[in-house]
Amino acid sequence: MLNQRSKYLQIAFNRSFNDVKGMIDVLPASDKIIIEAGTPFIKNYGQMGITALRDWWSEKIEKPGYIVADLKCMDRGSREVEAVAEAGASAATCLGLAPIETINEFITSCGENGIDSMVDMMNVEFPFEVLQKLKKMPEVIVLHRGVDENKLNKEKQIPYDQIHRIKGTYGKVLISVAGGETPRDVIRTYFNDSDIAVIWRSFYESPENTAKIAEDFLKLIK
Amino acid sequence: MEKKKNNYVGLIVLAIFIAFSINPIFGLVGVFAVIFWLKKNPEYLTSYLSKIKTLNEENPSGETIDVFSLENTVLAEKNIQPSAFNDFFSQTKIRLKKRKKYLHIALNSTLEEASEIISLLPSSDRILIEAGTPLIKIYGARAVSQIKNMAPAGTYIVADNKCADLAEREVEIMANAGANAATCLGVAPIETIDSFIEACQKFNIDSIIDMMNVESALAVLKKLKTLPDIVMLHRGVDESELSKEKQIPLYQIKQIKGNYDVLVAVAGGDDIREVQRAIFNDADIVVVWKNFYQSSGDTAQLAESFLKEIG
Repeated sequence: MLNQRSKYLQIAFNRSFNDVKGMIDVLPASDKIIIEAGTPFIKNYGQMGITALRDWWSEKIEKPGYIVADLKCMDRGSREVEAVAEAGASAATCLGLAPIETINEFITSCGENGIDSMVDMMNVEFPFEVLQKLKKMPEVIVLHRGVDENKLNKEKQIPYDQIHRIKGTYGKVLISVAGGETPRDVIRTYFNDSDIAVIWRSFYESPENTAKIAEDFLKLIK
Repeated sequence: MEKKKNNYVGLIVLAIFIAFSINPIFGLVGVFAVIFWLKKNPEYLTSYLSKIKTLNEENPSGETIDVFSLENTVLAEKNIQPSAFNDFFSQTKIRLKKRKKYLHIALNSTLEEASEIISLLPSSDRILIEAGTPLIKIYGARAVSQIKNMAPAGTYIVADNKCADLAEREVEIMANAGANAATCLGVAPIETIDSFIEACQKFNIDSIIDMMNVESALAVLKKLKTLPDIVMLHRGVDESELSKEKQIPLYQIKQIKGNYDVLVAVAGGDDIREVQRAIFNDADIVVVWKNFYQSSGDTAQLAESFLKEIG
C-alpha cells in the first residue's frame, strides 16, 4: 500500500477526540501524510477512535487514507490485529521487545487481515538480533526513541546508522524513524534514507498551528 | 462470621438511634463516623449489599433496616451500582494487604462476556478484576469504567494498559476511568517506568510492573528511582501456546520479596494447579484468565476453589 520510492510524513495524534477532529480538518490534503492513532488515543477511545480517524481523513483527501494503529502489541498478537483491522486501520505496530512468538504471530495475522505490519524497535539494543529470529519480515521497521526517554535522558540517540544496514540486508523493508521532532531532525531522517518520519510533539503542543506545521514539514519531502 | 457482621449492622443502627434521641448532634456525629469508616473500608459495604440482596430474595416483602439501605436495596435489585457511591468511594485508594492472597481475574474478550463472568463470581474482597489489554484497545477507557460499574462497589479494578511510552498520559486516562491500578511493561525504557510510577503516585493508584519477556526482574528493579507497588511475573499467552518449555520463573518470587518491599503477582494461567503452585511459592496475587474454550462458569468455579484454598 505504501510506495517504496516515496517519502512519507506520519503524524501521531494523542489529544482528545474533538481536538483531533479539528486538527485533521485543517491538515493539507496530501497522500504523503500518514495518520497515526497514538497509543494513548487508542487506549482512550478504542476501535471507535480508529474508525473515526479513518473516516475523517478519507473524507478529507477524497480517497482511502492510510491509518496506522499504534497498538504497541506485546501479547495476544492476533486478537489485537483483528480488532484494529476491523476498525479500518491500514497498519498496526508491535513492540520489538515482545516475545518472538508474539511478533511472528503478529506479522502472520497482519498478512491474514490484509494490513501492513510495523515492528517498533523502541528500547531494543540490537534490532538485527530481533529481525534474524523472525520467520517473516514485517513491512515496516520503526526505529524509535521513546518520548519519556527523550525528555529525561538527552544523550541517547536515534541509531541512524542502522537504517542502511537494515536496508542493505533485508532490501524490501521500509524504515520509519520516530523520536525526532524538529524540521532539522526530519531532514536528517530522510537524508539517512528512511522512508517515513514520525512526528507528534509540535502538533500535540500547539494544535492551532497544525496547518502551518504540516505544510512546513511537507515541503521537506521532495 | 457472616452472622457476626449482621449483628454489627444492627448494633450500629441502634447506637445511632440512641445517639439521636439523646442529642441530634450526637446522632449526626455518629452518622458521619459510619460514613467515614465505610469510606476507609469499602469492602464491608460490598458484603453488606450482597447480604441485602439475598435477604430480599428470601423475603420479598422487604425487611428494611433504614433509608440508607433501602435505597441500596432497590439499586442492588436492579443490578445497578449506585453511581454516586462509586464516585464517592473511587476517591479513596483501596489498599491491598500484605499477608493476604488475592485472585486477579483478567477479562479479555468482550464486555458482554465480562459482565457474564462478573455476575457469576462469588463476592469477595480477595478478588481483583482486570480490564485486559485487548479490551482496552478495543473499547478504550470505557472498558475500565464499564467493568467498574458491573463489579460490586469497592472492587479493586486493574487496567492492564501495558504502558510502553507516554506513561503519564496513560496513567491519567486509566485513573480517570476509575482504575485502582495500572500496568507498565518491564521491558519499557527505565525513564518510562520511572515516570509511570511517579504518575501513579500522583493519581493515587497502585503501580504494577509487568515483567513479561524480562530476563531478570531484579535487574530492572535495581535501576528504578522508586519501587512499584506490585511486580508481576508473566509469561505471555502467545509464548505459552507456541513454546511449551518456557516456564514462569517462580523462584524469582522469593528473590524479589527478599530484597524489596513489594507485592508479587504471578500471571499463571487458567487452572487451579497453576494457582496452587504460585501460592505455594509465596505469590501474593495470582492472575488467571478464561481461555476461549472454557465456559464462564469454569472461571467462576476456579474463583470459588481459590477462595476455599486460601481459607
